[in-house]
Amino acid sequence: MTLHIVNQSPLGGSALHDCLASFAEGDALLLIEDAVYAANAPTHHKLPQDKIYALAADAQARGVTLAQSVTAIDEAAWVDLCVAHTPIVSWFR
Amino acid sequence: MANSILALCRHAPYGNTLAREGLEAILACAAMDQIPAVLFTGDGVYQLLEQAPEAINEKSLRRNLQAMPMFGIEHIHVCEKSAETRGIATDALQLAGAEIVLLADTGAFIRDFDQVLSF
Amino acid sequence: MQFTLVVYGAPHSSEGAATALRFARATLAAGHSIYRVFFYADGVHNGSALAAPPQDEQDLLGHWQSLQQDHALDLTVCIAAAQRRGLLSESEANRLEKPSANLAAGFSLAGLGQLAEAAAVSDRLISFGG
Repeated sequence: MTLHIVNQSPLGGSALHDCLASFAEGDALLLIEDAVYAANAPTHHKLPQDKIYALAADAQARGVTLAQSVTAIDEAAWVDLCVAHTPIVSWFR
Repeated sequence: MANSILALCRHAPYGNTLAREGLEAILACAAMDQIPAVLFTGDGVYQLLEQAPEAINEKSLRRNLQAMPMFGIEHIHVCEKSAETRGIATDALQLAGAEIVLLADTGAFIRDFDQVLSF
Repeated sequence: MQFTLVVYGAPHSSEGAATALRFARATLAAGHSIYRVFFYADGVHNGSALAAPPQDEQDLLGHWQSLQQDHALDLTVCIAAAQRRGLLSESEANRLEKPSANLAAGFSLAGLGQLAEAAAVSDRLISFGG
């Protein structure tokens, strides 16, 4: 199952939109850098129900509080996610 | 066995060099006998349109894409919805020497690969 | 497990290079190995020896170099992308008759074949966008 990684804010471009359009059941989504802004409030897009993660440091840096459905992880857990999934797909600017 | 590789192209030509540098990487992989599958999605589908970039002093990326079949990449996958969203008639898409394969479900397609190179 | 990292972001420009560094450290700390870090597109600027950030900002070049020394990391800069952007080794600068070289110690220039090979043989490949 695929690990999708998005680094762009939800309204800053099409990265999250393109990612969600290629999301398959059972895939995981990791929000990093500016994409953590997608993790705190209802926005124009709908995130999948589960297996949604965000880098805690990136959210904290931006003062973003994560919604309950989003799991905060550190870099070590990110590496574990990569080990558990294949392929890893990055969606960026 | 070597990994299966997908090249995911989602940048429009000219505005971002990643469109051209993505193609260069694709051809390099193919030249090394690591022939990648290629999927154009999002703004990447714009790469397949007819182009005349002479006045902006660029080389036609579309013309360079036509090298792919010569490197053994015979199927060009295109996200059908990305094209339709951008008002591109999917039945008009073509690339000399290659077969255009329209995908309705890119998620199911992507998950079958070992590695994905994003451009 | 063997990881390959592909870095597209220029340092001190977008966050991608700094994020890649954090990921590289975590990967090594978890006991995995890094087969190669491949710097492509604007990411080639990470290999510039001439970066001189203010003292109170993170020194990305220095961090990559010490990680390279500690773990014998393969830090490969795409030669074609580097030439376009003015990142040259001593021999390339001579060959192209340019006034100076700026490839940092610990980094090496190589062709895109190194990306293809790394993708083919690594257990995981992860890209860091600009």
